[in-house]
Amino acid sequence: MSGTIAITGVRTFLGRRLSERLARIAGVRVIGIDRVRPHRLPATVDCQLVDLTEPAAGSILAECLHKESVETVVHLAFRQQPSADVEADHELDTIGSMHVLHGAAAAGVRRIVVESSTQCYGARADNPNFLSEDHPLRGHPQAHAIQDRIAMEALVDELRAGHPEIGLTVLRPCWRFGPEADHGMARYFARRVVPTLMGYDPLVQLVHEEDLLAVFEQAALAPHPGTFNVVAPGVVPLSVLLRSGGKRLLPVPHPFLHRLREFPSQVLSGDAPAAFYDFLRYLWVADGAKGWAEFGRPTYTTRETWASFVAARRLRSRL
Amino acid sequence: MSEPFDPPEEAAPTGSPLLEGALDTLVQRIRERVAPESDDDDLLELFEELRRRAGSLGVRERSGEVDDFGMDPEFLRAAEPLLELLRTRWWSVEVDGAEGIPREGPVLYVANRSGLLPWDGLMLAGEVARQRGAEAQDRPRFLIADWLITLPWVQPALARLGGVRACRENAERLLSTGRSVVAFPEGAKGATKVYRERYRVQRFGRGGVVRLALELGVPMVPVGIVGAEETHPILFKVERAVRPLGLPFVPVTPTFPLLGPLGLVPLPSQWRICFGEPIDPAELAADLAENEIGVARLNEELRQEIQRRVQVGLSRRVGAFG
Repeated sequence: MSGTIAITGVRTFLGRRLSERLARIAGVRVIGIDRVRPHRLPATVDCQLVDLTEPAAGSILAECLHKESVETVVHLAFRQQPSADVEADHELDTIGSMHVLHGAAAAGVRRIVVESSTQCYGARADNPNFLSEDHPLRGHPQAHAIQDRIAMEALVDELRAGHPEIGLTVLRPCWRFGPEADHGMARYFARRVVPTLMGYDPLVQLVHEEDLLAVFEQAALAPHPGTFNVVAPGVVPLSVLLRSGGKRLLPVPHPFLHRLREFPSQVLSGDAPAAFYDFLRYLWVADGAKGWAEFGRPTYTTRETWASFVAARRLRSRL
Repeated sequence: MSEPFDPPEEAAPTGSPLLEGALDTLVQRIRERVAPESDDDDLLELFEELRRRAGSLGVRERSGEVDDFGMDPEFLRAAEPLLELLRTRWWSVEVDGAEGIPREGPVLYVANRSGLLPWDGLMLAGEVARQRGAEAQDRPRFLIADWLITLPWVQPALARLGGVRACRENAERLLSTGRSVVAFPEGAKGATKVYRERYRVQRFGRGGVVRLALELGVPMVPVGIVGAEETHPILFKVERAVRPLGLPFVPVTPTFPLLGPLGLVPLPSQWRICFGEPIDPAELAADLAENEIGVARLNEELRQEIQRRVQVGLSRRVGAFG
């Protein structure tokens, strides 16, 4: 195994952990790309500073990728948490992605792997129980981060049509959990009392961070063209999931949700509350079969993923 | 507090001796807390706690075990006495033609939809499970229309009882994984028709059910259900007055909304479930699935057969309320 792999957004959780995994493999050179230098990165990982929100980011990136003769680009530079600054999020998530995709194509890379999300399918009452990869991405009109990710996927589709020689892999994970999960959703579910929607109890699906990283690693090392849902097997009703973690449920009638706007500060995003709560209200479970066939079956089920998250949180609170 | 449980990594040279010193102190502190040299009591206690918590997690887990469509065998078992009461006492359900039900493999049961809430689907699924004497997993799933899915409380309860949103993807996945399905091709037209139109089987969509059976080679069993029509007899529908509330209509039955939530209790009508002869798609022409006219014809034949089953059921029943 040999080659040079560039990871954009190497400061993110996935970027950092993926660079650690790849740096251990003999013959693989990893180049981390981010706006600022991350604190912890393996010594063998080269770090290049590029601000993807700059207008000239595409050509800067292309030059950098060409100079290092990069073969694979893993694009992970997305906002980790939708912020109230919708414009700034759009600049990075959509425009930044455009720069990465165009820059990579101009540098003549052989493969591009991008991180999307099963949230792009949208949480809708009329979703089928299992959403397959070819289901339309309906997103959520009020969730700007999800809409930006859909726009990113549209850019990928354009690139796929224009550059058939580039192997494009789109990975759509669902909510990533595990011992290290510390994103907005994890903090929301880490509460002792979790607000839920009165009268709704959708089936929930998670994916373990190690399983997700293993899939990204495979996609970075070998060609796996196509779009894949990356999810753990098994679905659990939200209430069962939370109770099994020792949480109390706080069911709130949904007309009162606007009053909750400030309450879950972890998910405060400048969007209407429905942009977040619809994902606790309706079904948006993805069909993982295609991804499992391509990358192998995950080691953690949804329940095991949740248990590892809860156990790690408890252990940590003891320290 | 980012990752106290990472093994102290092969000290990545950070370049800064100050930072390295700080990291070393941190690792030292964590070691002291987790495994003090003097005794392992703290550690043991921690593991004991973990084990206990993990154990209790396991206990709680078992109660909420659901399958991939959210059916909860525990919930069904808990609801069984109530369903049994409804079947034997409340509605005195009688069954015709059950001997024709295929004993093995997935089956697509096609029935007339009536009554607001999907009691008919629940009863039919229960009846089939009883006749086939099968395990919970083999219980047929009944398809429910979209407008029921959006109602709070209704959807989670129905999902646990084996209800699945009516759409092609769901039915296809269920049948191709060997599970039987109860479909109501009339859709909302059947559930929300007013009382004076009772027992008139409405138009059958666009033939989706028939096409699915043909494509997957699954036998269809036409079923006429008599009695569910009287559980929530809709006298008339209020449409214009409730539009500002965002509702398509509010049904007015003799008890709802007069008695409030109590009005949702179904009336004790007399039920009869009449199974027809199975239609085996293998015996039909192979190219029928691609032939739109053929599908439409079969669709209409199926509707008429169900209408006949309903008439048989009506003629054998003494009266709507015994």
